[in-house]
Amino acid sequence: MPRRARKTNGHDSERAAAAVRSFWSGTISFGLVSIPVDLYSATRPRQKSMKLVDRDGNPLGRRYECSKEGKRLANDDLVRGYETDSGKLIVITDEEFESMAPEESRDIELHSFVPFEQIPPIFYDRPYFLAPSGKSSKAYHLLSEAMQRSGRVAVGSFVMRGREYLVAIVSENGVLRAETLRYADEIRPPKSIGLPKRAKANSKSVNELRKEIKALRKDRLGVAELEDREADTLQALAREKERKGKDVIEQYGLEEEAPEGGAQVVDLMEVLRKSLSKRASVASAERALTDKSAARREAGSNGKRSGNGGRHARSRAARSEAKLKQASKSELEKLASDLHITGRSKMDKAALLNAILRAR
Amino acid sequence: MPRAIWRGSLRLGRRRVPVKLYSAVEDRTVHFRLLHTTDLAPVEQRIVRKDTGKEVPKEDQRKALPLSRSHAVILQRDELQTLEPAASRDVDLCRFVARELLSDQWYDRPYYLGPDGNSDAYFSLVEALERTDLLGIARWVMRKKRYVGALFLHDGYLMMSTLRRADQVLSFSGIEPAKSAKPTTNELKLAEQLVSSIASDFDPTAWHNGYRKRVCALIEAKARGKKLEPVKPKRRAARGDLAENLRASIAAAREREVA
Repeated sequence: MPRRARKTNGHDSERAAAAVRSFWSGTISFGLVSIPVDLYSATRPRQKSMKLVDRDGNPLGRRYECSKEGKRLANDDLVRGYETDSGKLIVITDEEFESMAPEESRDIELHSFVPFEQIPPIFYDRPYFLAPSGKSSKAYHLLSEAMQRSGRVAVGSFVMRGREYLVAIVSENGVLRAETLRYADEIRPPKSIGLPKRAKANSKSVNELRKEIKALRKDRLGVAELEDREADTLQALAREKERKGKDVIEQYGLEEEAPEGGAQVVDLMEVLRKSLSKRASVASAERALTDKSAARREAGSNGKRSGNGGRHARSRAARSEAKLKQASKSELEKLASDLHITGRSKMDKAALLNAILRAR
Repeated sequence: MPRAIWRGSLRLGRRRVPVKLYSAVEDRTVHFRLLHTTDLAPVEQRIVRKDTGKEVPKEDQRKALPLSRSHAVILQRDELQTLEPAASRDVDLCRFVARELLSDQWYDRPYYLGPDGNSDAYFSLVEALERTDLLGIARWVMRKKRYVGALFLHDGYLMMSTLRRADQVLSFSGIEPAKSAKPTTNELKLAEQLVSSIASDFDPTAWHNGYRKRVCALIEAKARGKKLEPVKPKRRAARGDLAENLRASIAAAREREVA
């Protein structure tokens, strides 16, 4: 969805691979109980995104310039204007934008608790993580636990960066997630796009399709099924050129630039360990993809533990601990990247080894 | 009426269901232009060298894939072209799984699928999906890009949502509150009561984007040369005993119900 142009100088691609962005701080109002939280993006940038460079490999970036004076502009030099149908420009100042935020602008006001399965996926917009930011995380744990027990999620609203969001707060594995929801008027009803009225289906063809569906049915979904295959082909092409020494840029992007526009890049694992639980760990979503009821059935029938057993089985099989200890630092870095270990860029060789052994 | 943005053919094993793809969402955001504060001239974006700030024209821009923190490889345009997927109208259903397997974090953009031509195959698939209550995982190529999507039903029609990729979605484990942060049984009981006292069904029509309305009103007022009274946002402070606050909240929720 096209979003309103943000006031950044546009270094969006310059994010550390395992880091996420901090967007907002506020309070969840659960009745009279207030839970101070920080909001972090729950979608990481694509891991292997390409960067813009010139012919010689010099990194490029975006700059805002005044179309009249051709002068480079800083954030303070910018203001937003609305162009009316008659071409008139209406300037809205930052103060005016702020004044339109409702009273609960720093609050996520919870309106009701609804069964999660009642919210159709068409409403899901963007996921964020919420971490407790106050002195005590007790109220946070309390809300998380109470929601998990009730099987319900909280629906609420809040204002962030000049937009009012409807949000579902979901409790999963002890962490609260805020999934922003689309408003009903942003969703097209089937009638509005002229889909035909439902006709009675031919039962023979229904049965044939059901057969095909059953043949394709699986109890779990491997990450491979959802993987970014084009990233692999890109990587292969780049490695090939690297071997031939063609178009290689040395010292590329060594100096990371701080992102502008207020969003702070943080290591989510560190945040959660500090604010929530010392043993918190963050991984790619593979674990979330097993049909838990099916896994339980399986475990019950043949007495095998299924839970985490399949996680990272490939890398585990490929590298024994002894082999790992002989690996070079760059090999460990590569493996840590495959395992999506956060904070790996700051680790020395021993820390990398430990993190990899833990992650497997 | 919005037009179809793409035509394709769902492939389930040996069966095919021809479909048209329609965007299921409508952007209602109020869009602004960035202006220079002093002369109100529109702002332009330029691509420049980060070190010198010198503008680099389109034909001199290249893409590079970082291989480590210290080096990257430039991929030329013709090389990138060779990696473009072959054009195809096929939407391959690779597997079907329980719907709960995919959490909200995966869903990206939803599209309606409508029948292309004869609607019999289409409504047969609707019924087959209804009866199996499963979610399809599909891959396809659209406008030179590869997509992974989830096929499910919405309002009695087929819907396909593009999915985020595995490296973008995070999950957690090992969250165990410290002893001092563990809620007591009594607090938990009260919290559960509070949850059930404001429990309801999901009703999307109950929520409106009040902020968008206010922005539109402000623009209109300013266009007519009027001023709107600014409202100061307030901040609430957290205070008091947890259990006490919970009890007071439950009482307040009950009162609202009675009223």
